[in-house]
Order: sequence, then C-alpha cells, then structure tokens
Amino acid sequence: MNQPSDSILGDPLSIAVLPASTQVKPGPSDFRLSRLHRLADRWSHLLFLGCSLLVVALIAGILVFLSSKGLAAFLPLSGNTGRTLGFSEVFLSADWAPSNDHYGILPFIGGSLTVTGLALLLAAPTGILTGVFIAKLAPSWMRTLMRQVMDLLVGIPSVVYGIFGLTVMLPVISRTWLKDAPASGFAVSAMILAVMIVPTIVSLSTDAFESLPQNLDEGAQALGASRWQAIASVLIPAAGPRLITAAVLGLGRAIGEAMAVQMVIGNNPQWIALMRESTDRAPFLRALFTPAATLTTELVQELPNTPAGSTWNNVLFAMGLMLYLLTMLLILATRRLGRGAEA
Amino acid sequence: MLNPKTPETKPVKLSVKDMHFSYGEKKVLDGLSLDIHAERVTAIIGPSGCGKSTFLKCFNRIHEVASEVKVGGDMQIDGIDIYRGGIDVVDLRRRIGMVFQKPNPFPKSIYENVAYGPRLFGVKDRAALDELVEDALRKAALWDEVKDRLKESATGMSGGQQQRLCIARALAVSPEVLLMDEPCSALDPIATAKIEELIIELKEHLTIVIVTHNMQQAARVSDYTALFWLGRLVEMDLTERIFTTPRERMTEDYITGRFG
Amino acid sequence: MQTRPVLRSSTTAKVVDRLMLGLLWTLALGFIAVLLLFVGAILKQGWPVLNLGFLTRMPETLEAGGGIKPQLFNSIYLVVLSLGLSLPVGLGAGIYMSEYAGRGRALRFFRLCIETLAATPSIVLALFGMILFVQTMGWSFSIRSGALTLALLNIPVITRVTELSLLAVPRDLKEASYGLGATKLQTILKVSLPYAATGILTGLVLTAGRAFGESAILVFTAGTNVSAQFPDFRWTVPGETLSVHLWYVTSDGTLPDAREIAAGTAAVMILALLILNLLVRFLDRAIRRRTR
Repeated sequence: MNQPSDSILGDPLSIAVLPASTQVKPGPSDFRLSRLHRLADRWSHLLFLGCSLLVVALIAGILVFLSSKGLAAFLPLSGNTGRTLGFSEVFLSADWAPSNDHYGILPFIGGSLTVTGLALLLAAPTGILTGVFIAKLAPSWMRTLMRQVMDLLVGIPSVVYGIFGLTVMLPVISRTWLKDAPASGFAVSAMILAVMIVPTIVSLSTDAFESLPQNLDEGAQALGASRWQAIASVLIPAAGPRLITAAVLGLGRAIGEAMAVQMVIGNNPQWIALMRESTDRAPFLRALFTPAATLTTELVQELPNTPAGSTWNNVLFAMGLMLYLLTMLLILATRRLGRGAEA
Repeated sequence: MLNPKTPETKPVKLSVKDMHFSYGEKKVLDGLSLDIHAERVTAIIGPSGCGKSTFLKCFNRIHEVASEVKVGGDMQIDGIDIYRGGIDVVDLRRRIGMVFQKPNPFPKSIYENVAYGPRLFGVKDRAALDELVEDALRKAALWDEVKDRLKESATGMSGGQQQRLCIARALAVSPEVLLMDEPCSALDPIATAKIEELIIELKEHLTIVIVTHNMQQAARVSDYTALFWLGRLVEMDLTERIFTTPRERMTEDYITGRFG
Repeated sequence: MQTRPVLRSSTTAKVVDRLMLGLLWTLALGFIAVLLLFVGAILKQGWPVLNLGFLTRMPETLEAGGGIKPQLFNSIYLVVLSLGLSLPVGLGAGIYMSEYAGRGRALRFFRLCIETLAATPSIVLALFGMILFVQTMGWSFSIRSGALTLALLNIPVITRVTELSLLAVPRDLKEASYGLGATKLQTILKVSLPYAATGILTGLVLTAGRAFGESAILVFTAGTNVSAQFPDFRWTVPGETLSVHLWYVTSDGTLPDAREIAAGTAAVMILALLILNLLVRFLDRAIRRRTR
C-alpha cells in the first residue's frame, strides 16, 4: 500500500519534474499501482457522492415525512381519527381550543413572530456593533477574548439558558419590577433568545467587516472622517448585504429555538386575551410579562400528550412543517442576498 | 522630460527633521530630515520595505488607524507641528489629502463619493455640493466621462477611473497637499499615463508627494526625488540631478538597477 | 467660480465619535459580563449539590436525593453513537464537496442542502425522528431512535468542517503527491486527510459539545426515562440524557428536590462545556503552530 508514496518521497522533485518519456526505466513492478488501488480510485468517488446524496435525501425525507403528518390535518386520509380541517380555520384563526375542536394557530404564529422580532431587535444592533468593534477597533487581546466569549455563549446548551431564565431572571424581575407577579412571557424569552443568537450575528458580521478592503476606512479617515463616521457612513453600508444575512441567520436560529423559550415563556397564549380585554392605554408593556406560547413551545408542550393520527396531533405537525418551510425560505433568502453582495 | 530643468525655488510646505517611527518593536524610519516645497512634485523612491509608504502616512497621521506606533522628531506643515498636542487631526487631514495604492472608492454612487468629504465638513446645500462635485471631477479630468452617470455605483468603473475618482474625492475638500501612495501600481499603462498627466496639471495649486517604485515615473512627473533605504534618507535633490549626477554612490547603483 | 463654501470640521462629530467608541467598549464588556454572570450563577447554584454521590447515584422518581449516573452515561453514550453514525457520512460528503464536486452548480446545490440541514431547527429534526424512527419503524423512545436523529444534527457540521479543512490543504502538497503517481484517492487518504485531521478533530469536539447539550431532539426520540439497569448498552431502551433530565425535572415537578437536581445538572453541563472549550483551544493552537 505504501510503496508508491514512501519509496519515492525521499526525492520527490527528480521524479515529478521529469516528463514521462524521459523516465528511463519503467520502474520495477512494485512501483506500479495495484489493480485494487486503481479500482478503489475509480469507484470511491461514488461512495463520497453517496454521502452527499444522502444529505440531499435527508432534506427531502424530512419534507416528505413532515408533510405526511402535517398535511394530514387538511386531507381526508385513512389514518385520521378527527375531522378534516380547512386551511383558513387553522392559519387564519386565533381560536385555539383543541378540546372544542378549534384549531386556530395564529396565537402561536403571533407568539413566534413577537418573541423572534424582539430578540432580533436586541441582538442585531448589538451583534453588528460588536462585530465592527472586534473587526476594526478592538486591540488584539480584546479581539481574542471576545471570540472566546462568543464561542462559549454559542456552546451553552439551550436548557441551561432556560434554567438560568427560570431560576435567576424570572424571580429577579418579578421581585424588582412586578411586585412579585410572575414574569414569564415575551420579555424574558426574548432576552434569553437574544443572548443565544448574538454569537451567530457577531461572528458573521465580524467576517463581513474583516472581508472589506482594509483601505476603505483609511480612505474615509484620510478625508477627515472620525472612526465612527467611517464605520457608520462607509463600512456598515459596504457590508450591508452580509450584515442582513447575519441577521437573517440569527432570526432562523431564534424562531426554531424550543427548549429555552419553553422554560420561561409561560406556555399559554394569555397575552392575546390581555391585549383584547385590557382597558389600559398601553397594554404592550404588560403583555411582555404575560404568559405566551410560540410554535416551538407549543410543540414541546403538547406533542407528547396527543394521540398520533388525531387532528390535534396533525395540526401540531403542520406547525412543524411550517417551521421547516420557513427555514428553507430563509436559507434561500440568504442566497439571494449573497448574490446581491457579489454583483 | 516634462518637468522644467531647474524649477524656481518655492517656499517649504512640509518640513521633516530627525524623524523616527517605530511599529511595536520594529524601527521603520530612523533619523529622516527633508523639506518638501510647495507646488512641486516630490517623488520618494526606494526598494520595497524602505519605509516610504509609512513616511507618507505620517503626514496625515493615518497610521494611527492601525495601532501601536511611535513617532518621534519633528514634522511641520507651514511651520506648525503636525504632532503637537491639540492640533485638529480632522482639519489636518482636510489640508493633506491622500490617494491610496489600490483605488478605494466607497461602494456608493460616483456623486456620493466626491460629496463625502464636503458633507463631513458640514456642506449641506445641494447646489453648493453639486458645484464642488463638478469642480473636483473636472480637476481630476473625469467630468466628461461620468457627468451622465453620477448616480451610478463607483465600483462599476474601470480601475483607472476609480483612481481618478479617488483623486477627485480628495480634491473636493480643497487640500493643500496631496499624498499619493504608489497610485498607479494597480493600473495599466494607459491609465497610468492619464494619472501622470493629471499630477503635472495638479501641481499648479498643490504640493504633491508621490511614493513610487517606478523610477521612470519619478523621472517623468517629479521635480524633486528622494531615495530611501532601510528607513533612512540616502539622497534628495532635483529629480534632474538625481537621475544624471547623483552625489551618492548608492543612488547611482539604485538608479541604474544594480540593487533593490 | 463663486466663493467656495466654508469647510469646517465639526466638534459634534468628535463628541459622537467618543460616545460611540465608549458605547462599543461598553457593549463588548457587557457581553463578557453576561457570560460571567451566567456561568457564575449556574455554578454557584449547582455547587452545593455537586459531589461524587450526585454523579454516581441512580435517580429517584418521587423522593429527594437522586443522582444523575444513568443520565450522564446516556449523554456520553448518545454523543459517541451519534458521532459514530454521522462521522462517515459527514467525512464522505465533505470529501466529495471539496475534492470531487468541482466549483459549479453541483457544489452550490450540495452547499445549499448542507446549509439548510444546518439551519433546520432541532425541534423539526425531532419531529422527523419521531415519525420515522419512533413511529414508522416502531422503535419507540430508545437509544437508537435518539442516536440516529441526533446524527442528523451532527452531519452538516462535520461536513462543513471537513470541506473547509480539506480546502485549506496546501495545493503543492497535493500536487507533490500526484506528481509521484499517487491516485486521487491515495492523495486524499494519505496526504490531505492527515493534514486536515486536526481541523476535523476540532470540528468533532465542537459537534460533540452541541450534541451533548441538545435536548429538543432527544425528548421526542430517546425519551424521558432511563433503564433500570446500569450500565445498559442496549440500544432499544429509553435513554434520557443530562440535558433532557434538566428540562424534565423542572417542567414535570414530581421531585421534591427538582430545583437542586436541575441546578446540579446544569453545573455539570457547564463544566463539561468549559472542558470541551479548553480542548478546542488546545487543538486550535496545535493547528496554528503547524501552519506558522
């Protein structure tokens, strides 16, 4: 196995440089590749290709299996034990009461969008600014330190984030600001989500700023711009598309996160009732500390309690299918953005 | 040769005395002294790594963008110390413009590139901006090529056009000195010729310091030439004399290509 | 030409500059503070619970004083199994993408797929695993359902890391090997992969960390129970891991000392994370020393 390489490696140049015709003697037979080697070389790439195709198959497989369950709610299939639903009574209704045969998932869609939006509102500006700080302003020791901090933050498991929210943030907030009323809801969930997605945004935006031509901010400063002016008026616009990509990928992570949010959000879309019935002029602030639920938390919460094949169960899978389609959409969106950046 | 044989002596614009520069532990410039005359083109030549680009960047203190540097000695513009505490770096950079080795137009429109400087200095009036932009583009011999597409992105221009745009961008804040750091090294010969022509036109009102590794270029555009070697000044004189009758043996060797 | 407008350098710009630089520093230090607060709080809460007994006792279901021995075992067992399942696929796909796929449409398509899989929320992977392994295959909540689904989480990371590490192999090294008459396969196996090994290993450690912390997938595939035997290597038994345990005791609430158990488990997980992180940095330094 190792004759061809080892025996020649001693003097690589002399062999490599010679044109084929001047190789004086056709080396001894043990220099020639064995049949096995040639066969292996010819066919091995099929094995590697197979691995890649397996990934493709997985993508398609997830879609097929999730659809088989998720679409079952809307189609009269043999395994169904419940009734067949129309799209509008699921996706356009805010009435979620499975025990009364109402399956409107708008409360969860709304919950997911709200918590993700709030998290992104916190994480995108801070993450992008931290990215520019690391790439352009921080001294090298600080740069190394920040990278390690972000590596650790991204490595912390979501249940540990959840337990921190549950045992530290909720009690502290409830004690200090809410007169001991429970604090679970959007606010704490969004804060935790923000910390969870910030490393993604920081590392992608650091890359974006580092890949800009170095003399771009020198150019601005040579004209008299301050460091901040150069960042705000030249660097951030120049890195624009890639910064949006960073935010989109952060958004993808936030909307799909389940466990950490499930532990602190309260798992009951009470905020909807609050917003409807409240006589306050600004119920928003209170809604932030009122229990809510998202697509993912509802899945974690209720999937184990619903029998397979029931309408309820199928609707939950439809929510999962929605999340998956959304992921695909976001990835395609980042592709589009990337192409915009190259052009 | 385009430059006059013995140029009339102009007042000293920039003066450097016993200047030192180190980057971290590394000494880059060591005991430099020279004078640069107003409305003349001074070329700085020398092998790569001799500190000529660093020297240039000391005038507008742009090296401070990078990091831990130490500058010692005395650098003056019109008799005022550039490194004196309390000097307005922003105003210094307005007076001393810079053009970089690689064209670095901002990823904005052509118009916005040129208007960037004036905007920084508080010009908001649209008409005034329009006029400044046109004026700068005319001076950079770019107006006729771009006047119909001022709103288009600058990154779509050719390399030579981009570099002239960068010159226009620097001219828009009416600097007194223009520093050029190998401005043609990324350009083809035709674009290079245009920039050289431009340099000779611009020196009517401007002091120009150009770093170049191309000795023919130094001979073509400059009135004075300084040769740097390992962070020291070997010789500085009228370009004419440097290229014909240098005093130093080392200069002769360098000019004739025997080292570097 | 008329009089030029006056160019005045603005003092506001300088003040804003100072303020913004201050803000950026504060922001960065703020993130460091968040991390310290976080790790500190978790370790502080868990410290009183952490002892050898906690790590080596079986858990209780209704009484206080349970340990986390089987969960710890299941965590490690599942990580190892899922890595074993995903490594060949990830390596193969990574090799294909860096060495065979070329630079055209095929590569772009495969990358798109890898990115999609990497971005798929773990709850979605959990649903897939639940339908395919737990229900369709009839394997119920078990180690094998868990390991297979967890592998889906690892595959994109390992593929990406393999591809990048292989792309970083110097070209002349490969060319020297070809020049000696080695086949492409031999070059990959004997020159490129050994060169890329440290990078891939770093990626593996990171992947292990992610799999170790994963919970959503395992709740729905490996279940929230442990086998009564210890150690139980059978792949048909349910396999609750540390992270699932942490979540389950806080949300279920039958244990009187659920808080303490959760705190202790969280501390164990943070410690494991810190150790893995040190390992990654050690490997990283090894890579940098070699490339210098």
